[in-house]
Amino acid sequence: MFRLSPLRLGTLALLLAAATGAAFASGFAGLEMLTEILILAILVIALDMVAGFGGMVSLCHGALMGAGAYAFAMAGLSLGLPVWAAMLFAVLFTGAVGWIVGAICAGSQGIYFIMVTLAFGQMGYSFVFESPIFGGDDGLAGLARPDLSALGIDLNTSRAFALYCLAALVLVVLAAAQILRSGLGRALVGIRDNERRMRALGLTVWRTKAHLFGLSGMIAGVAGVLAAQHVMYISPGLLAWTVSGEALVVVILGGLGTFVGPIVGAVAFVVLRHEVSAITPYWHLVVGLILIAVVMSRANGIFGFVEDRLSRMSARRAARAAAPRGEPHDA
Amino acid sequence: MDFGFWLFQTLNALQLSMLLFLLSVGLTVIFGLMHFVNLAHGALYAVGAYVAATVAGTVGYWAGLITAPLVVAELGLLLYWLLIRRMRQSGPMAQVLVTFGLIFVLLDLTRIVWGDIALGIEVPQALAGRIEIGGVTYPVYRLFIIALGAAIFAALALVLARTQIGAMIRAGVDNDKMAACLGINVERLFLAVFCVGCGLAGLAGAVAAPILSVTPDMGLQILIPTLIVVVIGGLGSLWGAMAGSLIFGFVQTFGAVLLPGLASVLIYALLAAVLILRPAGMFPARG
Amino acid sequence: MLEVRHLDKRFGPIHVTRDVSLRLEPGERRVILGPNGAGKTTLFNLLAGELAPDAGAILLGGRDITAAPVAERARQGLARSYQKNTLFDALSVAENLGLAAAVATGAARSILRDCLAMPEVRETVREVAARLHLSPHLDATVSAVSYGVRRQLEVGLALATRPRVILLDEPTSGIGPEMAHGFHHMLASLPRELTLLIVEHDMDLAFDVADRITVLNYGEVVFDGAPEEARNSAMLKDIYLGSWENA
Repeated sequence: MFRLSPLRLGTLALLLAAATGAAFASGFAGLEMLTEILILAILVIALDMVAGFGGMVSLCHGALMGAGAYAFAMAGLSLGLPVWAAMLFAVLFTGAVGWIVGAICAGSQGIYFIMVTLAFGQMGYSFVFESPIFGGDDGLAGLARPDLSALGIDLNTSRAFALYCLAALVLVVLAAAQILRSGLGRALVGIRDNERRMRALGLTVWRTKAHLFGLSGMIAGVAGVLAAQHVMYISPGLLAWTVSGEALVVVILGGLGTFVGPIVGAVAFVVLRHEVSAITPYWHLVVGLILIAVVMSRANGIFGFVEDRLSRMSARRAARAAAPRGEPHDA
Repeated sequence: MDFGFWLFQTLNALQLSMLLFLLSVGLTVIFGLMHFVNLAHGALYAVGAYVAATVAGTVGYWAGLITAPLVVAELGLLLYWLLIRRMRQSGPMAQVLVTFGLIFVLLDLTRIVWGDIALGIEVPQALAGRIEIGGVTYPVYRLFIIALGAAIFAALALVLARTQIGAMIRAGVDNDKMAACLGINVERLFLAVFCVGCGLAGLAGAVAAPILSVTPDMGLQILIPTLIVVVIGGLGSLWGAMAGSLIFGFVQTFGAVLLPGLASVLIYALLAAVLILRPAGMFPARG
Repeated sequence: MLEVRHLDKRFGPIHVTRDVSLRLEPGERRVILGPNGAGKTTLFNLLAGELAPDAGAILLGGRDITAAPVAERARQGLARSYQKNTLFDALSVAENLGLAAAVATGAARSILRDCLAMPEVRETVREVAARLHLSPHLDATVSAVSYGVRRQLEVGLALATRPRVILLDEPTSGIGPEMAHGFHHMLASLPRELTLLIVEHDMDLAFDVADRITVLNYGEVVFDGAPEEARNSAMLKDIYLGSWENA
């Protein structure tokens, strides 16, 4: 069941402090990297919510993010909505798309779930790629960032934009924690553990799955809006299945279903890609080998590994403390 | 749109279908037998294309066509011993992830060995040119692909239906634990089927090399259509792979000329519909 | 309370349930007996909605639920336990009971409040745990507790939904006679308005709690009557006790 343990809270606080520090200390290149990490972190939190806590391994979260980005762009460019309204529209739109996909896929299990979500993601990709109104392969340019000059903030600087993304990430973390500890989030964990029993207890399983997928879609939509505002240009590549695959890799690297792990994974992934790309053009080879090693080691990613170790250590300590009183114990 | 147009498009659709069949049949039988989805199947196809291009450039086309499947089957053997064997007991997600990592590794390995530049190979002398059928002139090489796909399908159907190893495979697909109890060496059967499946992916790469340009990401591009074929047809079934390939080939080809702009969406919508209405595909391998 | 009319189910050529009719009064405790393969678990799956009957009707509190999905029947107050433990193995005993209570009260649909922390859910968890002697195990993960505890929890999940009718599928299977006896005491102490339909293997224990006994054989009702009649029925001894001794 989802819990914000001291380790998780501590790591979150540490990450927040590091990100704030980096936002003020870094130069342009560092700030671009930071922004990339923050946006990726939002996307993988959305993915971990359904994959880690609900057992719904989605290969369409890249497409959901892309849907958010395109919805934001179209709302601004075609409907002429002001930036904030376009952002709200994009998040709600992505949530609705997520809800529909979740509702349709709710009956599929295991490898079939992965395949159906892949199909939906690719459907979105082809649709955007082939439709002239979305600019096709060329994408769409001329996207706006919100105007915060009333607060004395110019979002067109890298530093202000990075802090703006950090604020978004903090809000997303709070929202995700709230969702996971709500009745809906608890029910989702129950479904992952034993769907049949949840149904027998009286839960309409598909509806819970669809709601969670919709909420996760809204968060992916936030990532999409920020990604669009970051580069101020979007192309169908955002929706490609490899983006979804990469997001899944980040979640696995950090620790599936550990809430904080995926954020750690996002940091590790972006930093590693930056460092490896500086040495060799074969970044995919490195990430491929790391992914295979992590999965085959059966550890639950970086954060999951640390968490397991620490909980085992504290269990041992508790057992040792109990032993002198002569109580029998099992490790 | 006269008869010639329809015939021409039908041949195009058949050619695409047969190429996809060569790829999907290995994937689907491996899944049916081992419940293992190998996302790196497309990457093996790319390796096959590169091997064929290299050998064709030095020795000749036919040598390439024979070498490519053998080399890729060997590669399959290596992968089996290094990775797949250890992943047999893991859940679908771990398998998907490991083979996803393998895509990345193979992608960069082909870039390291062959570089980033697209390779091309010549169609062999015997299959060059066009011939006229039913009032349409059509490239001989593409007819060769159709014939080869059909021949492989016939051979596999025969092996599965009539030989002892075919009976063992059918038993394994139906119930691998029971097959093991009946004294079938399931592990060796897996290995054989896995290698043959990989070899067929290599063959598909070699066959596709002269009509597509050989690039490192060709495996990534073909993967999604192959998965669609396998899922529409029903995981684990030879006839399903053929049916799925034909459906994909025809919808894609005719969609592109009749409903331009919607062809791919049509395919994905079809896939989603199949998965929702018949979650085990149109021709599931087991009842 | 629960009424079954002419229920029929076939698997291919095999008739697993044949023209089964039952009628349970509110608060009645009915035990279903029958040799292995008599169709008891199939009957439960039909009642709970995990299988659809080929013919016949099921009524709960006078309302036809024959076509209602599993979850809908549960919300109408029909709870069940499984013959083979079907629990949330990765969660603690308290979380298991909490989920059951939260689903039943609708708290599991809230996006704002933590359903496990709600007072009414906690109260149900505490009460059910006390009744089933689960209180000492509340914080333990299900996969870490003994089989006997899991067996109790299996029934606990059904009770925690505060149902009107409970279907218990061999609740004492696999646990020792002493524990089984304690379990039957617990059943006897449940609020009288609760209707119980129990599949049981152990005849003596069944007589402890049953108001009435139904015997199934080859998917058909072959006996329906008071426990005393059942004890004295020669036919029952033939078809049921005979196979019982062999089992």
